[in-house]
Amino acid sequence: MARITIDPITRIEGHLRIDVEVDGGSVQKAWASCTMWRGIENILKNRDPREGWVFAQRFCGVCTTVHAMASVRAVEDALQLEIPANAQYIRNLILTGHALHDHIVHFYHLSALDWVDITTIPRADPARAASIADGVSNWPGNSRGELEAVQNKVNGLLGSGQLGIFSNGYWGHPAMRLSPEMNLILFAHYLQALEFQRRACQVVGILGGKTPHIQNLAVGGVMNAINLNSLATMNMDRLGTLQSLLQEMIPFVQQAYFVDACLLAASYPEWFRYGRGVANYLAVPDLPVDAKATKFDLPGGVIMNGNLGSVRTIQDWHDQPIRAAVAEDLTHAWYSGDGAQQPWKGTTDPDYTNFQDNGKYTWVKAPRYDGQPMQVGPLSNILVGYASGHPLTRKWTDAAFSRISANGPKLTPDALQSTMGRYLARAIRSAMLSDLALEHWQLLTDNILKGDDTTYNPPQFPQHEVVGVGMHEAPRGTLSHWVVIDKGVFSNYQAVVPTTWNASPRDQRGNPGPYESSLLANPVADPVKPLEVLRTVHSFDPCMACACHTLDVSGRQIAQVKVL
Amino acid sequence: MNTSSDPSRLQGDFRLELNAFQHETMLPPPKRIRVIGLGNVLMGDDGFGPLTVERFHCKYECGLNVEVIDLGTPGLDLAPYLHGTDLVVIADAVHSLEKPGALCIYCEDDLITQGAQLRLTAHDPGLVESLAHLRLAGEIPSELIIVGVVPESCEFGKPISPAVFSASSIAVEKIAGLLVERSVSCFRRSAALPPNLWWLLDHRSKSLATWFTGFTS
Repeated sequence: MARITIDPITRIEGHLRIDVEVDGGSVQKAWASCTMWRGIENILKNRDPREGWVFAQRFCGVCTTVHAMASVRAVEDALQLEIPANAQYIRNLILTGHALHDHIVHFYHLSALDWVDITTIPRADPARAASIADGVSNWPGNSRGELEAVQNKVNGLLGSGQLGIFSNGYWGHPAMRLSPEMNLILFAHYLQALEFQRRACQVVGILGGKTPHIQNLAVGGVMNAINLNSLATMNMDRLGTLQSLLQEMIPFVQQAYFVDACLLAASYPEWFRYGRGVANYLAVPDLPVDAKATKFDLPGGVIMNGNLGSVRTIQDWHDQPIRAAVAEDLTHAWYSGDGAQQPWKGTTDPDYTNFQDNGKYTWVKAPRYDGQPMQVGPLSNILVGYASGHPLTRKWTDAAFSRISANGPKLTPDALQSTMGRYLARAIRSAMLSDLALEHWQLLTDNILKGDDTTYNPPQFPQHEVVGVGMHEAPRGTLSHWVVIDKGVFSNYQAVVPTTWNASPRDQRGNPGPYESSLLANPVADPVKPLEVLRTVHSFDPCMACACHTLDVSGRQIAQVKVL
Repeated sequence: MNTSSDPSRLQGDFRLELNAFQHETMLPPPKRIRVIGLGNVLMGDDGFGPLTVERFHCKYECGLNVEVIDLGTPGLDLAPYLHGTDLVVIADAVHSLEKPGALCIYCEDDLITQGAQLRLTAHDPGLVESLAHLRLAGEIPSELIIVGVVPESCEFGKPISPAVFSASSIAVEKIAGLLVERSVSCFRRSAALPPNLWWLLDHRSKSLATWFTGFTS
C-alpha cells in the first residue's frame, strides 16, 4: 500500500491537495483537501446589497463574472425584482462569452498535457498530420504549413533544453498513447487557442465595459445605455462588432475544440470506464429568454443514482425543492460546527486542526442535496439535457457520439458518467453555447430594433428581513449565492460554488464527495508519476480560488508529489 | 493611342504616387503598451497592483496606445492581455528579503533566471505560464517590467498597510518615469482625477476607512 499526496493539483490556480492510497495498481481511498481558508462571506456582511456584486466578483480572479451575476440575481430574487429583457440578453451574452473562454482554456491550457505528450512532436510527419486533421474537420488552422511551423517551435523548445513550464509534464508515461501526429494537431490548437481567448475577452469587454471585472451590472438589470442614434452607447455598430467576434469564435469551438475532444475520446476509450464517482447530478436552468425568466435555453434538473430515466427537471429559479434541499455539512471541514447548515443560516467561522484522515481535513464545506453528495458541471448539464429530451443537447451529443464511433467505441449517454465523459461533455456544452451565443445576439438585436431600450428596473428595499438565492450554471457547474437582507444591508451571505460541490469532503454520514469517490479504482501505473489521478481530478476543471481563499501566500510551489 | 489621356490610367498613376508619398512620410505604428495592476483587492497588501494603476491613471494621462488596467488575479487568463504587446509594465506584490513597503523593479529575464527567488504573490504562476505560452505562439511582449512591492500582510478582508500605500505613490512616479524614458507619451494631468478606491471605503460612511489617515492622491 502506497500513500500519494499531490499538492497542489491544479496546473495554475488554486490550492487543492489530493491524497490517495494505492494498492495493486489502483486507488483504494482518496481525500480531497483545500489548503487555503475561505473568508469571502464575512467581507459581505453589513454591506449594501446593491454593491455586493462588485466585491463578489473579486472572490476569484478567473471566474469574476459568474459571481457578479449570481450576486445580483440573489438580491433580485430576494426583492422579487424582474429585470428587462435587454438586461437578460446582455447578461446571457457575457455569460456565454466567459464560458466559452473558460472551457477552451481548460481543455487546451489546463488539461491537454495530461493526454498530449509534446516530446513526441519532433517525430511527427506534418503532411500526415494535416491529412488526418483535414479528414475530420474543415478548420483552416490545420494546414501542413501551420503544423510544420508549430513542429519547428516545439523542436526549438526541446532543443534548448529549457522546458520551463513544460518541464513538469509526465512525458513518456506509459498512459500517454497518442501518435506523434495527433500530439502535433492538438498542440497546434493549444497555441491557436490563445487567439480565441482574446476574442472571448473582447465580447465580455464590449458588453461589460471592462474585463476582467465587468462594470455594467446593477441590481435590477444592466447599466448599458441603448440608443441606436448615439455613437457613445450600444448601437448597431457595436452590435455588429459583437456579431463578428462571435462568428470568428464559433469555427474554432466547433471545428477545432469539439473535434479534438472527440478525437481524444476515441483514442482513450478506457477512460469511459474510470472516474464515475458520485452519480447524482445537479444543474440549474440558465440563459433565460424572457424578462420574467420563465423559459431557459439551458435546461436544469436533478438525476439521482446515475438513473437518467429518473430526471426531475428544474423549470426555473423559483423551484422550491432545490431551495429546501441544499445544505452545507461542516463535519470534516475546518469550520466550527458539525452537521449540515441551510445556506441562509450558514456560518463561516474557521476552526483549524491538522489534516485528520477521519476528522477535519479541508477548508471546503460539504454541500449536500437532500443529504446526498452531487456532481455539478458540464456533465450534469449534458446528462440532464439529454435525459429530458432537450433538442440542442441531443444534437451535439449525438454528433459527438457519431464522430467517436467512426474509429472508437460506440457510446451511449450512460458512458458519459466517467472521466472522459466530463471532458467530452464540456466540449458538447461549448458547441451548444456557440450556437446559443448567436441566438441571444439575435434576441437582443431584435428586441432593440422593436424599440425597447430599457435595461434597468430600480430596486426597492423593504425594512423587514428578506431572503434570496441567485442561481447560475457557471462553467464549472451550479453556482448559488444565498443572501439574507435586513433593513437594506446583507445580514448573511453564503456562496455555494461548483468546486465546493465537486471537491466536497466526506459528510457526517461518511459519504465522500465527487472527487474523492471518482478516484476509487482509478488506475495508477507508477505511484511516483500519478498521471492517471491528475486526469480524473482535472476532468472536473478544479478551481479552488473561489472554493476557498488564501491565508498564506508565501509559497511559489510547483506541483509536488510525495509518496509516503 | 496616347495612354496618358486615359483617365483611369491617370488615376492609377496618381494613386501609386500618393502611396509612395504616404509610405515615405508615414510614422511607425504606435507601440502597444499596457500598464497592468495584478493582485486581489480583498487581500490587504495584495491589492498594491490595482491601487497603483488606479492612482497612476488619475495622475497621468497617456496616449491612446497605452492601456492602464486592473486585471485582478487572472492566472492563465493573463495571456490575452499580454498578447502581441510591445511594452508591459506590471505592478504587483512580490516576495523578497527586503523590508515591507520596499519597491523592487524586475525585467522579464529576472523572472525566468531568478524564478526560484523572485516569488510574486499567489497568482504568479499565471504570469510565468502566460509568458511561456506567448513565447511559443510568437506573441510575447517585447519588453516586460515588474514594479513590485514587498507586502507586509496579505490577509483576507484586511486593509492595505500604510507602508505599502505610500510605496504605491512612489511606484506611480516610477511607472511614469519608465514610460517617459521609452518615449511613450505620458503627461501629468493639470488636475488629478479623484481615484476610485472603492475597496478601501468604509461601507457605512463611504469615506476612506478610519484606519488610514493622511490620504492624498
